[in-house]
Amino acid sequence: MKPLRQPSVLPGFGLTFGFTTFFLSGIVLLPLAALVLMTASMSWHEFLHVILNPRAVGSYRLSFGASLLAASINLIFGFIIAWTLVRYEFPGRKIIDALIDMPFALPTAVSGIALTTVFAQNGWIGRYLEPLGIKVAYTWIGVTVALTLIGMPFVVRSVQPALQEVQRDLEDAAETLGAGRLYVFRRIILPTVLPALLTGFTLAFARAVGEYGSVIFISGNLPMKTEITPLLIVIRLEEFDYHGAAALGFVMLVISFVMLLTINLLQAWGRRRLVATGR
Amino acid sequence: MSITLDQVTKRYQGAPVVNDVSIDIGDGEFFVLLGPSGSGKSTLLRAIAGLTAVDHGRISLHGRDVTHISARKRDVGLVFQNYALFRHMTVADNIEFALRVRRMRAKARRERRRELLRLVALEGLDERLPAQLSGGQQQRVAVARALAHKPEVLLLDEPFGALDAKIREELRRTIRQVQRELGITTVLVTHDQEEAFALADRIGVMNLGRLLEIGRPVELYARPATRFVATFLGAANLLLARQTKGGILFGSVGVDAALADVAQSAREHEVVAVIRPEEIELAPTRAGLASNYLAAGVVEEVAFTGALERLRIRLSAGASEAQLARAPNSDHDALLEVTRSQHEQRAFGVTPGQKLAIGVRRIHVLPTPLSSFTAFAASAAQATELSVHPLLVELATRMKTRVTARVTETDGAVTGAAVIAATSDAVGQIEWLLKEGAEEVLVLPQGARPPQRVLIHWADEAARRTTLAVAASLLRHVAAEGIYVGILPDSTPDGQRPQGMRALLDARSEAQAMHGLEMRTELRFGEVAEELARRLAEAPDQILILGISASTGLATRFHALFGAELRWPVLVVYRAAEGRA
Repeated sequence: MKPLRQPSVLPGFGLTFGFTTFFLSGIVLLPLAALVLMTASMSWHEFLHVILNPRAVGSYRLSFGASLLAASINLIFGFIIAWTLVRYEFPGRKIIDALIDMPFALPTAVSGIALTTVFAQNGWIGRYLEPLGIKVAYTWIGVTVALTLIGMPFVVRSVQPALQEVQRDLEDAAETLGAGRLYVFRRIILPTVLPALLTGFTLAFARAVGEYGSVIFISGNLPMKTEITPLLIVIRLEEFDYHGAAALGFVMLVISFVMLLTINLLQAWGRRRLVATGR
Repeated sequence: MSITLDQVTKRYQGAPVVNDVSIDIGDGEFFVLLGPSGSGKSTLLRAIAGLTAVDHGRISLHGRDVTHISARKRDVGLVFQNYALFRHMTVADNIEFALRVRRMRAKARRERRRELLRLVALEGLDERLPAQLSGGQQQRVAVARALAHKPEVLLLDEPFGALDAKIREELRRTIRQVQRELGITTVLVTHDQEEAFALADRIGVMNLGRLLEIGRPVELYARPATRFVATFLGAANLLLARQTKGGILFGSVGVDAALADVAQSAREHEVVAVIRPEEIELAPTRAGLASNYLAAGVVEEVAFTGALERLRIRLSAGASEAQLARAPNSDHDALLEVTRSQHEQRAFGVTPGQKLAIGVRRIHVLPTPLSSFTAFAASAAQATELSVHPLLVELATRMKTRVTARVTETDGAVTGAAVIAATSDAVGQIEWLLKEGAEEVLVLPQGARPPQRVLIHWADEAARRTTLAVAASLLRHVAAEGIYVGILPDSTPDGQRPQGMRALLDARSEAQAMHGLEMRTELRFGEVAEELARRLAEAPDQILILGISASTGLATRFHALFGAELRWPVLVVYRAAEGRA
C-alpha cells in the first residue's frame, strides 16, 4: 500500500526541486560556467600572467581589502543603528527606518557622484578634512566610504529582526543575577545576535566586492592605487581582451566563493550551537 | 520584615499603574499578589526587583532601603513567565551565571549547581541546552538559576502561565517545597485564585493599581471587605439587604444575625451581602429547608462538573424580595449561582424549570458603603437618562452594583446612594434627599468623566469616619489618587498651623489603619467652599467627596460650590452628629 503523502502547501518535492535546479542552472550556474570555460581556453602561462600582473594584484588588494574594511565598519555601525531603531522610540524613527533602505534603491552611480561631490577637496565635508591632511575622494578611503554606504542596509536589516527577538526579559534576568551592562552585552546580547550579524556582514561584504557604479566616481581609478578589480575587468573588456577579463572574473569568483563559504560554515556551526534540536 | 513597601507609586504617562501600595512581608513568608491583568501586580514585582523605578515611596529588603539601588545590587532572584533562559548556554551555564558574575571558583560553582539541580529535581541535565527541555523543566532551571546566588528574596512573575494544567500543579508543589526548605521570603504574582490559595501564606489582592486587601486565604475567602475581592476570589452572589437591629433583611425576609458575621450597628441601612454558591441550600418547599429561608426561585440551568453540580437559579419575582446587587446588564447577572456536592444532589435532585425554596447557611455582609445607586429626577424619562450617565455607569460597573431610576417626590425610603443631575436646584434636591434618609448624594454634571483624582474633605468632624469609608470604597474601584484636602481659615494664627497639619496626618493614618487606604494630603488656607471650588478647578477629571453632618443650609454654607450650577461631580456624604440622629 502506498503510504499516505504528507500534505504540503506547494506541490510536491519533485516539482519544486526541478524548478530550483532549473532556475539555479539557467540564471546562476550557466553564466558562471561560461566564465570558467572562457578562462579554461587560456594557457597556464597566459592565465598566470594576467592574474598575477602587479596591476591586477593591486586591484585585488583594494577590492577585497576595502570591502572587508567597509563590511567591518558596517558590522559595528550597522549594529548601533539597528539597536537605536529597535530599542528606542523617538520622533522621526519611522523616517530614519525608511532612509536605511535608500542605498538599495539609489542607482549606484548617483551615490558615487553624490559622495564625490561631498568629499572632494572643495566639497561640503572634504573642505574641512583637507586642512587635516585627510584626502577622501580619489583615495582608497573614498573607495571604502562608497562601499560602506552601499553595504550599510544589509547589516541593519539582518540585525534588526534578531535584536527584536532578544527579549528584554533576558537582560532583566541577567541584571537581577548581578551582571553589569557590559557583561550582559558580551554574554547575552552578542551571542544571540551573532548569527544575524555575520549574515549581515557576509551580505555587505559580497555586495561590496561586486560593487562598481559608485566606486568608479569617487576612486579616481589610478592604476595600482585606486583601481578596483571590477573596473579592471571593464577596462580589459573595452580593450577587447575577453580572456583577460574572464581570468580576472574567475579569480574574483574563487576568492569570493571561498570567503562566503567560510562565513556560512562558521554561521552554521554557531546556529547548531544555539538551537540544538530545532525546537 | 523581609520586604517592606511604603506608599509605592508608579505612573505611566501620568496615570498610576501602582497606586500607593504599602505591604510588610515577613521572613520566610510566601506572599501572593493576586489580580486581573493590568492591575499593576507585575509592575509592583518589577519594582521590588529593581527593574522598574518607582515615582514615589520606599522599598526596603531586610531593613535595607533599596529604593534607589539597581537590580544588580538588590540581591533578589526573579523568575519570569517565559522562563527567560539564556538559550545559547547550557543548563549548567545558565545556573552558574550569577556565580560566574560573582567570580566564584569553578569547583564551588559546580557544587552549588549540583545542589540546585537536586533541589528542583533535574539531576543529570547539566549539559542540555534549554531548547532540549520541556516547558516545565525549563521553568525549573529558571528557578534554580534565580536561587544560585542565595538571594534574600525570590520573586516569581506568573511562573506557571505558560504551562499546562498537570505540569503546573507539579511545579507548584516543587516551588512550595523549595520555598519551605530554604525558608526564603517569596513573592509570587498570579491572576489565578486557585494558584494563590494553593501557595500563599498571605494573599494581597490588587485591582487598578491598588492593593485592595491583604489576608490569609481562608480569611479573604470567608470575609472579604470589598465587592471586588468577594467576586474575584471564587464565585459570589451579591445581594442587596437591609441591616437592622434584629438581623439582615432581604426584602421582608429576615435572616438571623448569627448567620451573618457583621458588626452590630444601631443604624438601619442598606448593605451588600455576599453569599457563596456552596452556602446555599435547596429544598422543594420552605418547610423542607434545614437552613434559614432566603427566597423562592426557579432553576434555569444545571451543569454537571464532576464533583460539583453548578446551578443557576432565577429568583421568583414577588415570591421573594431579595435583590441581586449587581446591575442586571446581562441575563446571567440576574441569576443566583449555586454549587452542590454529590451528597446534596442525591438527597434532592433538581431539573431546569423546577420551582424550589432557597435557604442560606452563611452570609457575609460587606462593610463597605455605596451599596447601590438610585438616579433621581423630576420625570421618569429624565431619571432614566441620568441613570445611564457615562460616569455613573462606569462607577456602577466597576463596583458591580446596580443603578435604578426613580422620580423625585415619590414615596418610599431612599436607600443606597442617590444620584442627581447638577442643575441649578441641586442644593434643594440634596437637602430633600437627606431629609428622606439618603446618606450619600452624588451630583453629576453633564459630561463628567471617570476621575483621575478624588478630593476628600469633611466639613464636620462627625462625618469623618463615614467620609473616609466612602472614599475608601470609591478609591478601590477607580484608578485615581486620593487626596485629602484640609482647609484652615485664613485667620488661623501661625501658632495653630501645625495643629492643622497634625489633623491632616491623623486623617491619613486613620484612612490607612481603618481601610487600608493610602491618600495624599494637602493643607490650604481660606474659606472652605471657595478653596474646594478653586482646587476642583485646578485640574480636569476630579471628583469631590464632601462629608457633612448638617443637612440644611447648604446653599449658604457652601455658596462657592453650590451657588452656581456645579461643574464638577460631588459626592455629598451625610452623617448626623451623634445624639441628634
